[in-house]
Amino acid sequence: MIRLVKICFAPAALLVFSSCSSLKMDYVDFGWPVESVVTVSSVNKIEDLRYSVSAWVAGLAQEEFQDSTALHGAKLRLLRSSEGYYFLTGPRFKHVYVFSPGPSSLILNKSIPVAEGGLRNPALNQRTPYVEVVDGDNFHVLLTSDDIVEVKK
Amino acid sequence: MNRIFPLALLVATLSAAGTAQHSDYALKSDFEDRYRQIASRLDSATATHEIESLKGEIEKLETDYAPHQQFLDKALYPLTFNESMEKLRSLQVLTYDRVFLIRTQGVKLSELEERISSLTTRLDSLTAQRDQLFGELQESRKSLTALREAVKRLTANLAAKDRLIFAIADSIFLPYGKDLHQVADLQKEAIGQRLDKANVLTRVYEIAADNVKFLDVTQLQGRDYGNLIEQYQAFTGRWAGLKEKITDVAATSAMVPAVSTGKGPVKTPVARGGKKDSRAASEIAATQSSHVDSVLAEWHARLNAGFWGGLQKEFTAAGIAVAPFNDGPSFSSSVRQEVASLAASKQDPQPFVETLWKQKIDRDWRDGLTKDAMLGKTEYAALDKLVSELSRETIDMTFLAYIAGILVLAALIWFFVFRRKKRPDHPAPAPAP
Repeated sequence: MIRLVKICFAPAALLVFSSCSSLKMDYVDFGWPVESVVTVSSVNKIEDLRYSVSAWVAGLAQEEFQDSTALHGAKLRLLRSSEGYYFLTGPRFKHVYVFSPGPSSLILNKSIPVAEGGLRNPALNQRTPYVEVVDGDNFHVLLTSDDIVEVKK
Repeated sequence: MNRIFPLALLVATLSAAGTAQHSDYALKSDFEDRYRQIASRLDSATATHEIESLKGEIEKLETDYAPHQQFLDKALYPLTFNESMEKLRSLQVLTYDRVFLIRTQGVKLSELEERISSLTTRLDSLTAQRDQLFGELQESRKSLTALREAVKRLTANLAAKDRLIFAIADSIFLPYGKDLHQVADLQKEAIGQRLDKANVLTRVYEIAADNVKFLDVTQLQGRDYGNLIEQYQAFTGRWAGLKEKITDVAATSAMVPAVSTGKGPVKTPVARGGKKDSRAASEIAATQSSHVDSVLAEWHARLNAGFWGGLQKEFTAAGIAVAPFNDGPSFSSSVRQEVASLAASKQDPQPFVETLWKQKIDRDWRDGLTKDAMLGKTEYAALDKLVSELSRETIDMTFLAYIAGILVLAALIWFFVFRRKKRPDHPAPAPAP
């Protein structure tokens, strides 16, 4: 009887273990060659046409400026790093926000403080494996998804 | 080790980025702004020197941004940096051509395009009519009259199509004058694009193939061939001229890269992208030309086979066995042999001379035979004379026989009449006392 149970159990156990192993594709490069400059609409929405990404930024405005309408008409800079994180910042921002994609959402991974007085006219550049923030000729910061690697001011 | 690697990577990244601390987005936007400015100035240019000067600006734009080519190849998606530059150059070529034609030839590009478009439409309607006529030809096989009518209409249709396709080609080349060697490369590029747009090579091929099909499905009579030979020769002559021009234009296309019409994505292989594609376009043109050559060779072979085969059947139908022939020299040789044989054998030459030569060949086949490509006027005249002499020889013999008969008759009459009249002159012998 025990032997019969073992015989029946073995294939079932094999099936369970094999379904636990998941497929993974490595060395994926998500990086955009150039940032997208997206304008915040009157309903707090940003939309990038080339990569078909859209999001509501009221929460972001609340977080950065404590005013959910503060970003109306602002031109934000959005760049996806090679690792797949979305970097977002804009004029007057003190931080660069790093989001990771979730199901129908962008989940804040880290807000990295880069300029105490706020950025004036920032831009994000893809510098794999980093993301570069420039603001005028004298401001240059290299970021990973959770920290500053180098600062030149 | 884990710390050294990211630092080394950082150093490499910074050196790759150089010392520039500008936004990549700004770089892309600046390029696009300068690009748009040049395109806009080209659009509004009204003088060729103005357009020539913009060529320098296009080159400068390319030089300025060439160091960022790798970045721009990705950032300018769906075009690459090179494709964008070539698109701009192509716009310059077309604008130069447009302005040049208006300034020097008084030809408005729109009028030229309109004429080509109108001719193309007429050609397409003739193609539709051709399909209908081929159908009628199949249906009218039972009635000889209907068949002859269908052949006549189809011949006219094909001749009209021949004329139209070369009229289209002429419309494209005419504004540039006769000597294509003096035409600027930019303009040749524009001609190439126009030829491509009007699908000239494909149409020439289709028309030649239609003629081959026509010869295949039609039972022709001797008198039909004169026009068909003329039509073939005219087509071949025009094609030779067009091919030379197309080769010239295609060679230029291989040297001068052309991309687009300036706005929107391009449609043709010539215009899609860069030197590589231009070279490919040149090769395509060469291949298409060789296809036309081969279908023309087929046309020639069918025409020849139909003509000489039909002529040979006339001999067979008349019951005259001659050496087989398949071209002018062999036909001439066969006829000469037959004449010599008839002259030597003292056979009655009437069936050959009267029934075959005069009733059939001279009446139905002379038009075709006198074409230079078949036998030629001189040789036909020589053969005709030879055959006529054979006939005259026969007439002379009969004539001589008649003359001889008449002479004999006259002698007899003379003998009886004059001998009888002269008798009274002699005194009758006196009766004996």
